[in-house]
Amino acid sequence: MAERKALVVDDEFHIVQVVAIKLRNNGFEVFTADNGSQAYQLACAHHPDIIVTDYQMPAMTGLELIEKLRKNPDTADTPVLLLTARGFAIDPQQKESLRVAACLSKPFSPREVLHCIEEVLAQRAGV
Amino acid sequence: MGMGLWGFLAVLSAAAGGISLFVSNPLITSAVWLAACLAVLGLGGVLRQLLKGLEDLERYLKNPDCMPVSKGTWSPSFWESLQKWSARQQTQAEETRQENSRLRLQLQLLERQRTWEQAVLDSIRDAVLVVNEDNQILFANPAARELLNPDAVPEHFSSLETIETAAALREKIHRCRSGRIRHVRHELALNVQGQQRIFEAVFSCLPESSPNSGGVVAVLHDISREREISQMKNEFVSHVSHELKTPLASINAYAEMLVDGEAQDADTIRQFCSIIQSQSLRLNRLIEDILNISRIESGLVKVNRSNHSIALIVRDAVEMIRSYAQEKNITIHAPAPILYDQACVDRDMISQAVINLLSNAVKYTPAGGSVTVGLEVDEAEGRLRVTVTDTGVGIPPEELGRVFEKFYRVQANNHMAKGTGLGLNLVKQIIETVHGGRVFVSSVVGQGSIFGFELPLALTGCAAASVGGSS
Repeated sequence: MAERKALVVDDEFHIVQVVAIKLRNNGFEVFTADNGSQAYQLACAHHPDIIVTDYQMPAMTGLELIEKLRKNPDTADTPVLLLTARGFAIDPQQKESLRVAACLSKPFSPREVLHCIEEVLAQRAGV
Repeated sequence: MGMGLWGFLAVLSAAAGGISLFVSNPLITSAVWLAACLAVLGLGGVLRQLLKGLEDLERYLKNPDCMPVSKGTWSPSFWESLQKWSARQQTQAEETRQENSRLRLQLQLLERQRTWEQAVLDSIRDAVLVVNEDNQILFANPAARELLNPDAVPEHFSSLETIETAAALREKIHRCRSGRIRHVRHELALNVQGQQRIFEAVFSCLPESSPNSGGVVAVLHDISREREISQMKNEFVSHVSHELKTPLASINAYAEMLVDGEAQDADTIRQFCSIIQSQSLRLNRLIEDILNISRIESGLVKVNRSNHSIALIVRDAVEMIRSYAQEKNITIHAPAPILYDQACVDRDMISQAVINLLSNAVKYTPAGGSVTVGLEVDEAEGRLRVTVTDTGVGIPPEELGRVFEKFYRVQANNHMAKGTGLGLNLVKQIIETVHGGRVFVSSVVGQGSIFGFELPLALTGCAAASVGGSS
């Protein structure tokens, strides 16, 4: 079985690093980006199995990134997990229309992130 | 009266003379003349008495307190009736005078009441508007006139129907009137001099028993500012939540990684611990920023003043920010040293203010740009001036006046960097509230901004530690 690929996006270096280490330790090939544009390019180039992105980032928010990914046929179906530190919930309609796989609030648990990713990928694999 | 009597006597003499012409008997003629003379004498006495009586009456009427001594012409009952009539007239005249005074006083009181009520209505900042059933304006205080049509001349300000911007207001008035609702509260947006303003409006129908049944009273309170503050607070909570949760997320995640044994060697363990420590400090700095603003605002901050070289404070601040600028490929130019630049300041606070200005400049300057720090001393004015000039994105002119407000973030530059909108407000509080200086800003969109502050030079001694503001 080929190694599973994940893309982690956050403008906070330490957050990207901790999620990346957790995923690498659990058998993922991990790509990292600190902004939406870079993340989009990496997603187009490497077709990750899952993307974990922060919501509030300068220049392009997490939701804007997902919107852009959904418009590209190559990335339209890539599941995305959203990390958010916002004081309020993401609009459920927007979440549904952009097919956000799951939302996790900061401060988050890397264990929980991994568990969530495994669940999403298992669902997609039809397990 | 005297002339009439002489005329009468002349007529009588003429009559006697005439008779004497026709009667030839001297005895008869003499008798006629004698009778005429006696008649004249008798009549003269009567007339004199009458004249005196009239003169007494005239004197009495002129001065009723002075009763004439001789009452012979008029009977006592006449005088009694006259006295009673006169007393009644005096009483009536007195009553009329009192009524006049009362009415005059009442009029004055009403006028004063009207003026007072007008002053009250005119001084109310809320717009008060009264319209009749045809939407003719019966009353509008200055705030209402200003709100609806400040340029209209009074005669053109008579009907709500002719005021273009009052469509929403007409609709609410109509609903209130047709529903016969005693009081109803609505929120409505009106265009005031080209700006959208939000009002909390209370509409009240005039009672049916009033002269203007069908009329409506509208009181409009501008809540635009409250709305803006509320929105700013919500945004602040959202920003602060993000800012607080970000370091907390790192602390939590790295701690969990350590617990789960995800750090597989000593170096990684040390690195994770170091991250936890640095993120804890970051969290603490943010909390300190919020608390500092709160302390300065409430006058509870402890200020440790002493004479310091501002150039040295600026130099240290530049060194602290240099690595951050290098990460973004931004060049920082520090000021040349100045011979005398001492100011009586709290060193840590001024350092904090300079760091905030520098980090903001770096934050909003694209890679490859530059940040230049300037320091000038005006000995004549006894002031020194620090400027931080960047080649950043700049600030739109309409937002320039608000950048030092608490929680305010320039909307157009929001995407450039995260922030709480507290940094510049803290600079303003430190410079103006604590040190009695002045902050300033100028900017050109696309070219960059100049932020800076002025402080008084330490020309005399420096006060010791103090608590509170610039005293």
